[in-house]
Amino acid sequence: MKDMILGLCFMVAGIVTIYVARQYPTMPSLQFGPSLFPSLIGGGFFLGGLVLAATQFPTLRQRASEGRVAWRIDYQALLIALLPCALIVFYILASDYLGTAICLTAMMFVLMLVRKTPWLLALGVSVAASLVIYFVFSRYLLIPLPEGLLSVGG
Amino acid sequence: MDALLQGLQLVFNGQTLLVILAAAAFGIFVGAVPGLTATMAVALLVPITFYMDPTPAIAAIVTTSAMAIFAGDIPGTYLNIPGTPASAAYVGESSLLAKKGRARETLGTNLVCSVFGGLFGTIILVFVSPSLAEVALKFSSYEYFWLALLGLSSSIFISIGSKTKAFLSLMIGLLLSTVGLDMMSGAPRFTFGIPDLMAGINFIPVMIGMFALNEIMSFYGSRVEARTPPALSKDKVFGQVPSHVKRYWRNMLRGSSLGTLIGALPGAGADIAAWIAYAAGKSRSKDKAAYGTGHIEGIVDASSANNSGISGAWVPALVFGIPGDSITAIVIGVLYMKGMNPGPTIFMEGSGLVYSLFVVFFVANLIMLPIGYLAIKSSKVFILTPRKILMPIILCFCIVGAFSINNSITDVWIMLLVGIVAFILARCDFPMAPAILGLVLGTTLENSFMSSMLKSNGDLLSFFSRPISASLGALVILIWCSPLLVRLYQRYRAPHTNHTPRSS
Repeated sequence: MKDMILGLCFMVAGIVTIYVARQYPTMPSLQFGPSLFPSLIGGGFFLGGLVLAATQFPTLRQRASEGRVAWRIDYQALLIALLPCALIVFYILASDYLGTAICLTAMMFVLMLVRKTPWLLALGVSVAASLVIYFVFSRYLLIPLPEGLLSVGG
Repeated sequence: MDALLQGLQLVFNGQTLLVILAAAAFGIFVGAVPGLTATMAVALLVPITFYMDPTPAIAAIVTTSAMAIFAGDIPGTYLNIPGTPASAAYVGESSLLAKKGRARETLGTNLVCSVFGGLFGTIILVFVSPSLAEVALKFSSYEYFWLALLGLSSSIFISIGSKTKAFLSLMIGLLLSTVGLDMMSGAPRFTFGIPDLMAGINFIPVMIGMFALNEIMSFYGSRVEARTPPALSKDKVFGQVPSHVKRYWRNMLRGSSLGTLIGALPGAGADIAAWIAYAAGKSRSKDKAAYGTGHIEGIVDASSANNSGISGAWVPALVFGIPGDSITAIVIGVLYMKGMNPGPTIFMEGSGLVYSLFVVFFVANLIMLPIGYLAIKSSKVFILTPRKILMPIILCFCIVGAFSINNSITDVWIMLLVGIVAFILARCDFPMAPAILGLVLGTTLENSFMSSMLKSNGDLLSFFSRPISASLGALVILIWCSPLLVRLYQRYRAPHTNHTPRSS
């Protein structure tokens, strides 16, 4: 079932890629230009997706006849798996204001608590690790990481 | 000779040796913690190597990858969980040996085989690549087009599992490589008005998303953490190794040769080398029945093969700029950033950089012996390191590492999106290596095709007009036709095998 859906997604992605690529100009001396490779890739997506979906079809039909098409998703596990992504979005949006060190500390603390780390240990490790990462990258490697609230204090 | 001395000087100085030691410790740690792979270790290391001189940067990557591949055997032996995919082939044998109280003996044998395999692959790299480079000097855009296509094709046909999924994974990598200004016409492609995308997608955020963020998401989605402390054995690490080496030296040689060869094939890395060497070792063994019951012979071939595969993958990477596996795909990007453009000319420039790289390989594999010994002795530390504490720290490294490449938040977005896509695809058993090869080789493929077309006024037959180009083209077509040929051969053999018993 998963492969069937993914196959259909690839087919749609292929059509969109070809549509976008058709708007690119062609080169004067040739019949093709910057649109050639994206179009071929779009075609590859479409054909690959079609094969992927088509090969799943007989299995799906057999399962349907046996009455077991159910596709179970562990929504709780999926939500927890997406938590690191949500925290990255939090970093992107909040780091300019809060600063890298505070954002990283908060992110690590939350992630450790989610996996039932004792809160004191989680807090200690989060603060220490975020300070090490922040100072190594901003002071030693000279990366302009956002300082945020810390710059106000300093 | 001057270049060799210069190369030695570049490696044997305080800074580089310190970097090698630190990278060795890092590689052992990442490899020994289950769920953290060698590729992930290298992807996390790249943002830091970005700020180093070329030799220490390459030394860090070479040492980390070699150490991580060996260290993957430690949790494999004690917990039956391979630390890296390259240890998966023989994890059954090594864990059964550990249950018999021979864990340290097994790891000692693994260590010696890994060092042997690594050195064997390095010797091949040192002797084969300069001669290959002389041939590669005659290559033009036609040959490079076929070489890139050969690399991409073998990444599909060598991959384990569904070829359709490998093909789609490759297409994703190729699509990412087309983002940015087109090299020939200057037209922007898939940039969506974002200025940061004009220069194309940097491969480092993609790597971090694909190999690190994906693993972090899998960890949080899996709910598995608790690991019971294993009973650590007290047998001697190197006590039985001399007798094993004496008995199985042929297996070590066979595993190392196979590993180097498979590693050199684009798309096939240390994990595939280990699986094939294990199968080859079993089919040639006089003691086939003992395989799968905790047999030391079962780990010799594969353990030599995975480390020799690491060195073998560098041959096409250095000579043609075509990566042999996902680690060398990262390395090619690092080499470009350091001004060491991979390709035949790297051997002709006469600087000590190439020699320093060879020396680094020897040093990295030799120090694996003492550092690996210490790691085996302190296995418990690695095995029981809680991932619930490590993973959040790695996530923060991912964010800061992706940002640091261009000091741009766009790279963090790219890492995030690629990580989510990789997570979905990995759940559905899509291989990741073809996507990375597609991203790295996509530009070479397109640019060599377009410049060949401009040279020949759009004549497609020009790809077969030069002898080497025509041979490479024929090889690519043969690879594409291989599934059909194999099926035809099987159909031809089937009636014969059915008839034989009747006739006898």
